[in-house]
Parts: sequence; C-alpha cells; structure tokens
Amino acid sequence: MTTLADLAVGASARVITVTGQAALEQRILEMGVLPGVLLKVVRQAPLGDPIEIKVMGYSLSLRRSEAACIEVEVQA
Amino acid sequence: MHADRHTVALLGNPNTGKSSLFTALTGTRQKIANFPGVTVEAKLGTAKFENSEITIIDLPGTYSLAARSPDERVATEALLGRVPGTPRPDGVIIVLDASNLERNLYLATQVLEFGLPAVIALTMLDVAQSRGITIDVETLGKQLNATVVPVNSPQGKGIDALKAALHRTLHHPGKALVVPFADEFNRSVDDLHGAVCDLSVKLGFKPARPEALRLLVDGAGPFFDECEQVGGAAFSGTLQKLRERAAAGRSLALMEAQARYGLIGGWVAQARTSDDEGKRTRTDKVDAVLTNKVWGTLIFIVLMLLVFQSIYAWAGPLMDGIEAGVGALGGLLLALVPNDMPMLHSLLKDGVIGGVGGVLVFLPQILILFLFIAILEDLGYMSRAAFLMDRVMAPLGLNGRSFIPLLSSFACAIPGIMGTRVIEDRNTRLTTIFLAPFMSCSARLPVYTLFIAAFVPEHGIGPFNLQGLVLFAMYWVGVLFAIPTALVLKRGILKSKITPFLMELPSYKMPRPKAVARVLVERGGAFIKRAGTIIFAVAIIVWALAWFPRDGAILDKHEAAIAASEGEVAERVATIAKDAGFAGDDAALAAAITDIQELTATHEEALAAAEKEFVDETELEAALEQRSAAFTAALLELKRRHGAAFEPAQAIYTARTEGDEAVAVIEKQRDGELLAGSFLGMAGHAIEPAVKPLGWDWRIGMAAIASFPAREVIIASLGTIFNLGGEEDEESESLRHVLVDAKDREGNPLFTLATALSIMVFFALCAQCAATLAIMRRETNSWKWPIASFVYMTSLAYMGALVTYQVASALGA
Repeated sequence: MTTLADLAVGASARVITVTGQAALEQRILEMGVLPGVLLKVVRQAPLGDPIEIKVMGYSLSLRRSEAACIEVEVQA
Repeated sequence: MHADRHTVALLGNPNTGKSSLFTALTGTRQKIANFPGVTVEAKLGTAKFENSEITIIDLPGTYSLAARSPDERVATEALLGRVPGTPRPDGVIIVLDASNLERNLYLATQVLEFGLPAVIALTMLDVAQSRGITIDVETLGKQLNATVVPVNSPQGKGIDALKAALHRTLHHPGKALVVPFADEFNRSVDDLHGAVCDLSVKLGFKPARPEALRLLVDGAGPFFDECEQVGGAAFSGTLQKLRERAAAGRSLALMEAQARYGLIGGWVAQARTSDDEGKRTRTDKVDAVLTNKVWGTLIFIVLMLLVFQSIYAWAGPLMDGIEAGVGALGGLLLALVPNDMPMLHSLLKDGVIGGVGGVLVFLPQILILFLFIAILEDLGYMSRAAFLMDRVMAPLGLNGRSFIPLLSSFACAIPGIMGTRVIEDRNTRLTTIFLAPFMSCSARLPVYTLFIAAFVPEHGIGPFNLQGLVLFAMYWVGVLFAIPTALVLKRGILKSKITPFLMELPSYKMPRPKAVARVLVERGGAFIKRAGTIIFAVAIIVWALAWFPRDGAILDKHEAAIAASEGEVAERVATIAKDAGFAGDDAALAAAITDIQELTATHEEALAAAEKEFVDETELEAALEQRSAAFTAALLELKRRHGAAFEPAQAIYTARTEGDEAVAVIEKQRDGELLAGSFLGMAGHAIEPAVKPLGWDWRIGMAAIASFPAREVIIASLGTIFNLGGEEDEESESLRHVLVDAKDREGNPLFTLATALSIMVFFALCAQCAATLAIMRRETNSWKWPIASFVYMTSLAYMGALVTYQVASALGA
C-alpha cells in the first residue's frame, strides 16, 4: 500500500482512500482530499516535515503522520 | 421615511478577502461582538444602503461548519441567532475565492442548507484571471440559487452591487439547498432531527435540520455534549443507532464529503473554464525561494531576528519616550496639586500617572509586533513560517504557528499572547498563551541586572564570565519549565482528540497598507480598552495598599525631626552671618548666596551633560577637569566681586545644602517606615514565615507582592523600603550597596548569593505581571486562564526559589 507520505517530491498521485481517526479523516476530506482526486507533492519543509501538496488548485500543507492516512495510487 | 433594518452574517473560508470585504461594506463603524465562552471573536458593523441599515456580523473564517470545539461551533450558533447579545441574521453573505472555487464551495453548500436568503460575493477574480480561470457568474448563480456578485474590496468594486443584491434578496424568503445525499442518510437526518427536537425544551432552543446533519456525521463536539447532557444515554443510543443505519458500514464523513464535492464538481464543470493546467503560478515561483531548504531557512532566520530585535530593542526608545511624555504631563498635573495634599499628590503620581504609563508603555511592542504580523499575514508568509517551523514545535504538542508568538514573548508576553490569534486550533492556542509568560521577557532583565551586579562575582569560568552565565541561565529557566508544562497541558486538560495540522498555503499577495494600519489601530485600541482598564485598576489598588493606613505617629516623628534639622540649619546660618559681621537680612550677603547657588547649579548641569556626552573615559575625564577648572575660575571671580560677603555666603550655602540633604534623608526614612507600616508592609510580615525558606525576609516578601503589577516594580519597592526613595533603578550604585549591606534581624547579611539567585529564579518563573494576566483574560475570554496561570506559575516560582536557595546555601553560596 502506498500512502501520500511515501511519495517523493514532484510525484503525482490519485487518492484511493482516506483513513485515520474520525476527526482527522473528516478534516482531510473537507479540505478536498477525497477518493478519486488528483494531487501532487510540491515540496517538503527544510526539516523534512510537513509536506506541501497541490490539490484542487490550491496548496495544502500537512504533516507526514497525516499524509500516512491517505492511500494513493501513483500516476505516471 | 421608515428605515428598515436587517442583520446579515458574513461567512467564508480563511484567506478569501473576507475581512477587507467587511471593511468595504461597513467602513470604520465596527465593534467587536462578545461571544461568551469562546476564544474567537466576531466583528459587528453597519452597512447603509438607500434607506436601509444592515448590521453585518463578520464570523471567523472557517472551512466547514463541522464543530469539534466551541470556537468552531460559534458560526452555527450565530447563524441561528443563538449568541446572546448578537442579533439573529435574516440573511447571509457567502464569500467565495474565485481562484479556489471547489474548496470554497464546500462551506457554501453547508451554509445554504440553512435556507437563509443568501448573496454570494466572488473575490480574487484578478488572481483567477491571471491563472487563466474564467467564471460564468450567471450560471454559478443559478446553480446556487443565489445572486453572485463579483467584488474587489480594495478597489471598492462591486460593493454597491452587493448591497443592492442583498437588499433585494432580504425581502424574499430563502430556499434551502438540497444536497443529494443517499436516501437512508437523509431519513436518518430527519429521524435524528426529530429526536433532538424532542429535547427542545431542555435545550432551550429548537435545533435546525442542518444541526442534526452535523450531529449525525460528526458524532461528537459541543452540540453533541449539549444534547447528551439533557438527553442522557437514551439520546446517545439513538444517535449511535442512526449513525450505524445511515453509514451502513461506510464512513459518514466520506459520504458527506463525496455528496458535497460531487455536487460542486458538477457545478464547477459548467460554470468555470480554465486554461492553466499545470502552469507555474507566481506564488509557486516565490515559494521555490521562500520555502527552499537553504534560502527559505536563511530568510526566515533573518526575518525572525528582525522581528525580535525590533520588539526587543527598537521599542525601547519609544517606550522611554512614552514614559517621559506621561511623566511630563503628569508633572504638569502634579503642579496643580497644592503642597498640603500629600495623598492626592501620591495617588496622582504613583497611582494614576504610573497606571496610565504602565498601560501605554506596552503599545510600542504591541504595535511593532503587529506591524510585522499584519504585513506577513497579508502577504501570506505567516503560513510559510509555520510550515518551516512546524517540525520544531510538534514534539511539544504545538504546531508551527506557535513559533512567532513564543519568540515575541522573549521581548514581551503581551504582544506574544495577542499574536496567538494566528493559531487556528483552540487547544494549541490556549497552550501557547499559557506558555508565553514563561519566556523571559525584557521586564525581567532589570531584576537580573540588579541582583547579578550586586551579588554574582565577576569570575571568569573558561572563556565565560560568571555574571554572563547566570544571566544566560535565567533566560533558560523559563524555557526549561515551559517544555514539561506544554507536554502536560497538551496530554492532559488541553488534549484534543486530534489536532490536524492541515494548513492552506494561500497565494502571495501584496500587503495593503490600509489593511495593515487597520490591524494596528484595532489591536492597539483593544489592548488599551480591554486590558488597559484592568492594568490601571491594579495600579490604583497596589498604590492604595502601599499608602494606607498611614500611621500618624510615624508622620509626627519625622515631621519633628525635619523641624529640628531646619531649626539647626537656621541657627548655623545666623551664627555664620553674625560672626562675619553681617545682619541676617543683609542684601550684599543675600546676593552673594544667590550667585553661588546659581553658579553651582550651572556647574552641576554641565557635569551631568558631560557624563552623557562623552562615552570614552579619557575624554570624559578631560571634559570634567576642564569644567571644574572653569567652575573654580568663576568662583574666584565671584569672590573678587563680593569681597567680604563671599566667605560667609559660601559657608551659608554649604550649611543650607547640607540641611536639604538631611531633610531628604529623613523623608526617605519616613517613606520607608510608612511603607513598612502600610497594608503592603503588613502583608510582607504576614508572609514572612512562608518566604523564610527562600532566604527572604518580610521586606523582600513585601517587594515581591508590590511587584504584582509589573516585575520591575520590585526595584523601586526595594529602594523605598531600604530608605533610598522610589526613584532607584537597576543601575543604581547606592541601591546595590544598600542591598549588599542590608542585615537581617540577627545582624547577618540579608542578601547572600543564594538569596539573590532565589529571587531571580522566582522572578524568572512567576506571573508577576498584571498586564499579561489582563491580556490573557481578554484573549481567552475567561478569568479561568489568567487565574490558572498565576496560581501555577507562582507555585512553580516558589518551589524553584526554594530549591535554589536551599541548594545554593548548602553549597555555601
């Protein structure tokens, strides 16, 4: 299983599922990261965490621990 | 003509230009709405259109109405008119960022379900345009069943059209949006709505259907707590059953998000055309530098140094200016008070003027920090700063947004605490507020300076100096205690189930000077109005405690002493005049005295000016010598001019000067004794048994109590109680000597190195700052936090001072 946390900077992926504690899952979904959506890892912070992704046309920062709740399928 | 009045709620995501729209609509007629029990606030303003007056409630920016904390719940409560003192809205304005339509529409679908008449303000069209995005306003309006008005608030475009649309819409009933949820989901919402409506009487309001939907999906939060409180286990059981039925093994949150984003996807496909796929925006290019591993970090460090330096150092001259200004105005005021009214004089000087100064003196630091925060926030950099620093703060249970407030607190906790508004998560914000006073602020520095200079030897330890090391250690004491405090708070009472750090990184925008200026006026005004009154009141109370009960016996004793001293001087003067063969009222003698007096005064001024002017020691010495020579020459000239009158005149002048000094000493002694006999002094005596193990006597205990308004007050209090008067500062040589020479009742030195360390540790950890507590009360909207902070920090300070003294004296310090 690949999660968003596993992706390298620059990689694009499609969301398969969002798991995690209810409140976290809900927040991730509300921000537009839901199954079927395309996203791209833009960069990571200088200290390696958090990461920045582009989704639904905007930039979202999330921690690696949160990204690990997002299962993705890497796009070529 | 009868004016009609309406109330409208303004809702939208953060970073959508909502605040500037609010200002464009309402102008400067804004006030802060009081929302009890929450730490966020809303603003109320009035928009005028033709003959109608529309009150606009600017609600905190949010991505969703899902509420896990009272702060998030307040938007729903306000929409339904349930916030006491805030009018019930009869319409809504929903702000949509055109460059970020999908995610913005998510909140819109939730708000439109309430069925209030709605108007959509479409912002950021210029940003959208630059990205090749075009939006068909007409189509979007039909889909949302609401008028969509493109606006550009900074340019004032679309504001009148928005008001006109609002005016039209408010006269028609709204129609609730129907989001296509699954049938079973909808039935469960209806059933749950029925169940919560059965609780109406006990709840005190009739819940709306969208609230039932939230309850079904969220399954927790403040509304759930409310219902469970009145509905008990029966209610929880019903909710659980309905949640299971609606979900049928799936995730309710996912069902909601898919239904909403599904609807939104269909809308956007029709209403938006875009030709930018994958194009690098201006923001992407800027971010490539500002969040770059090397450059981004470097720029961040330089910026933070600049912020810190400016609050710490550049605010200094402004603060001195304010103090001098208040002092000068106070002096003018004091001049109006007759000499025979010492109480009024003291109340004005130490209570009123001191209190006003104590409030205003914080303004430079607050304004400077908020100048940076407002610019950086407007620019979009605050989120990047949080992005860069999150990894550092996360182990403490905080997030990247806590960094700047805590850094600023090293200069002053007050702007730091005010700066926590940038933290979205309530518990993270409260934790940051609680930690802010642990950072060693600039008001502690005078306390450290005084005691280190007086009691810490100037040993070299390797390349270091012991005095410097102690100062360094004092700065770390607070941080050292802040870390476990943060961990305990975030794992204990402020534990959120989870605090996601999902943060939007908004597009960069040019900061707008007007918006920045508005933030400064607003923050400064709020501080003076809400915290200022408390700080002022504390200053008056502490003044009263130091003044009353004012023992008449002490006054009489010293008055007699002063009279005796003055009598003695008069006698000496008369003898000198007689011996020299002058009558007591001889004009030539009087003229000679006046000349000597004036010359001496001029000379003293010249010396003081030289001390200020020359920093270099040899230069200073030369200047002083030169001035003394000039003085001697001028004296000789006077001697030649006044002839026989000169010698006795000089002797009389000396006698009078000595007499004045003697009176000043008596007065200072009197002030010391009066303070000892005051309520404060009594309190010092009362707590002496408690502070004895800290190595303190009643005088230090009293000075510690007297410094409740502000830590640095301890220095003036020690000055007074050791009969030096209240004008002493931390650089005062005489205060240092007096402290070193002070004896306890047994005649042993009162202050040892151990005592000094114990006092410094106490002040490093205590919450002796009325202004911090007042601003805490204001920012958390509750007395609970300042009281908790005071009790906790005072206990820590006591324990810390106790351990320090006991260990240090055991080691022979």
